[in-house]
Amino acid sequence: MSNLTLEHYLILSAVLLGIGLLGVFTRRNVIVVLFSIEILFNAANLNFIAFWRFGDQPEALMGPIFALFAIAVAAAEVAVGLALVIAVYRHFKTVDLEKLDTLKEE
Amino acid sequence: MIDTLIHILALTAPVAMIFASLFAFTTWLERKILARIQNRIGPNYINIPFTKFRKTFGLLQPAADGFKMLVKEDIVPHGADRFLHLLAPILALVPAMMVLCLLPFDLPFANESMKRIHAAALDNAVLLFFGITSINTLAVFMAGWASRNKYSLLGGMRAVAQMVSYEIPLVLSAAVVIMAVGSLSAQKIVAAQSTHWFIFTPWGLAAFFIFFIASLAETNRSPFDLPEAESEIIAGYFTEYSGFKFALFFLGEYLSIFAINGLAVTLFFGGGNGPWVQAHPWLSCVWFLAKIFGLIFIIIWLRGTVPRLRVDQLMAFAWKFLMPLSILNLFVAAVALKVQQPWLTWPLCALVLYAAAHGLSRLQQKNVGPRTYQYAE
Amino acid sequence: MIEQVAFYILSAVAVLGALLAVSRRNLVHGVFALLLFFAALSGLFVMLLADYVAAVQVLVYIGAVGILLLFTIMLTEHVTGDDLRRLGVRGWFWGLLLAVAVPAVLILPAVLNEKSAKAAPIVVAQGNPALANNATQANTVKALGKVLMEKYVVPLEVLALLLTAALIGAVAVAHAPEKDASGKDTPA
Repeated sequence: MSNLTLEHYLILSAVLLGIGLLGVFTRRNVIVVLFSIEILFNAANLNFIAFWRFGDQPEALMGPIFALFAIAVAAAEVAVGLALVIAVYRHFKTVDLEKLDTLKEE
Repeated sequence: MIDTLIHILALTAPVAMIFASLFAFTTWLERKILARIQNRIGPNYINIPFTKFRKTFGLLQPAADGFKMLVKEDIVPHGADRFLHLLAPILALVPAMMVLCLLPFDLPFANESMKRIHAAALDNAVLLFFGITSINTLAVFMAGWASRNKYSLLGGMRAVAQMVSYEIPLVLSAAVVIMAVGSLSAQKIVAAQSTHWFIFTPWGLAAFFIFFIASLAETNRSPFDLPEAESEIIAGYFTEYSGFKFALFFLGEYLSIFAINGLAVTLFFGGGNGPWVQAHPWLSCVWFLAKIFGLIFIIIWLRGTVPRLRVDQLMAFAWKFLMPLSILNLFVAAVALKVQQPWLTWPLCALVLYAAAHGLSRLQQKNVGPRTYQYAE
Repeated sequence: MIEQVAFYILSAVAVLGALLAVSRRNLVHGVFALLLFFAALSGLFVMLLADYVAAVQVLVYIGAVGILLLFTIMLTEHVTGDDLRRLGVRGWFWGLLLAVAVPAVLILPAVLNEKSAKAAPIVVAQGNPALANNATQANTVKALGKVLMEKYVVPLEVLALLLTAALIGAVAVAHAPEKDASGKDTPA
C-alpha cells in the first residue's frame, strides 16, 4: 500500500462538498440544484467508503452497506424530485427557483 | 501492481481484437444470409487489387466498405455540438469493448496465474456488464442530441426509452442464473454449468427467451430497430454521421451484439463448455465463438423475417409482458431450485410459465382494435 | 506510486466534472459533466477496494440517474438544453463564501492536527496494511450479500418499499392530467 492516507480522500470529499454547495446556493435552475444535491450525496458516499477502508473494522462492511443504501435512497430521491420538476413545469411553465415564490407574502 | 496491469492487458487486448476482426466477417455474413432469405445472391465478388482474381465470394466486401468509410468526407452539421458529436461514436464503441473483456473467454495462451488474476478481477463481472452497457444508452442520446436534427433527436429519444425499458427484463432474467449459481463471477457461472447447461432447465429456457428478446431490443436489432427505422426517421440517431464516425457506430453496434450474446452464452449455454474440451483446452474459445455465432445467425434470420413493431407496442411488450413474466420466472426458479426433482419441476414450471405467458398475451390482445390517431395541435 | 497518480488523476477529473456540472449554462452539457464526475468517483471507489459499490455507482448513477435527468431536461427546458437566464447573480457572493467556508472548516482540523500530531493523533488515518488485506478478502460480493441478507435485512426490505413508493409516486406526480374532448384539464 502506498502512502495515500485517509486525509487525501477526506480533503477531496470536502472540496466536492464545497462545489455541491456552490451549485445549490448560486444556481436558480431546479435541475442544476438537483445536480448539486447529487454531488453532495456522492461526496458523502466517498467519505463512508474512505472511513470504512481506513477504519479499524473493515470486515464489518459498514461503509459499502451505508453507501449502497445511500445510493438507493438517492435514486428514489432523484426520481421523485424530477417528477416534481415536471409537475411544477407543467403548472408554472418555468423551473426557475426565483419565480416559484407563490407562497411568499406580497 | 504493474505486473498485474500488464497481465490484465495481455488477457483483454486480444479479446477485443478478436471480436473487432470478427466484426468484418459478421457484416459479410449478415449480408449474405439476408440476401439468401430475400432470394438474392448478395455480395459475391470484390477483386483483389491489382489482380484479376475475382472469386472471393464477396469476402473482401467488408474491407472495401471500410476503405470507403475511411476516405469519405466527415461532415458535421452546421449548428451541431462539435465536441459531443465527436465524443458520441467513441462513447458508443468503448463500453462495448470493455464488456467484451468481461466475458469468460479462455485464451489458449493464458497461464494459471493470469487466469487467477482475471477471475479475481472479475468477481462481479455480470453486474459490471450491465453497468457498462448502460453507458451505451448515453452515447445514443448524445449522438441524437448533438446532431441538432429532429430525426436524430427522435431516434435518440426512442432508443433511450427502449433501452431503459428492456434493461429491466434483461437484468431480471440474468438474475435467475445468478440466483442459481450464487455468484456474480462469470467464471463461476460457467463452471457451474460444466455438466448441465441452464438452457436445459425450465426456468433457464424461459429466462433465455426473455433475455434473448430483451437483448435484441437492447442492441436495437430488428424487430426492435425503431431507433434507426429508415422508413420512419431516416436512420435515427446516426442520420448526421458519415465517414469514420459512422463506421465507429457500426463497429460499436456489432461489438455490443457480440458482447450481449457472449453473456447469453455464458449464462445459459455453459460458456466455453462442450465436447472434447477436457482433452483440448484450446477448444473452449472455439466453442464459445461457435455458440455466439449460432445466436447471431438466429438474429440475422429474425431480421430477414419479422416486421418492425410500433412504438406503443414496443413499450407495452416490455412493461406488460416481459417484465411480469421475468418476475414470475424468478419465483418459479426459486421453487424449482428448492424442489430439485426434474420429473416434477419440468411439467410444473412449464405449466405455470406457459399459463402466465398465455394470460398476459390475452390481456394485451384485449386492447387491440382500430387505431386512434392523435395529431399535434 | 501508480496509485497516487491514479488518485490525483481521478480526483482532478471528479473536481473538474463537478465544477462544470454546476457552472455550465447548457443543461445537457451539465448532465454529461455530472456523469464524468460519477465515473471518476466510481474509479475512486475501485481504488478503495469497494468494487461492488463502484459497479452499483455506474449502474445507478450513469445508467439511470443520468438518463432521468436528460429526459427531464427534454421535457421541461428547451430541447437544446440552453439555460437562457443568467447564472444566479444575486446570491453568488454568499454562495461562494459558504462553498469555500464549509470545506475549509472541515479540512482545517485535519491540517492543524497534522501539525500538532501529538495532541490528538488520528488513529484511523494510517491505512493498516494488515487490515487492508483483510478488507480485500472481506469485500467479496458474497460477504456483502450475507451481511445484507442477515444483519441488514429489515433496512433492505424498507428500502425496497421506499423504492416502490418512489416509483409509484413519481409516476403519479409526473403523469399529465387527462384531457377531455374540449382540451381542458380534468382533475385526476
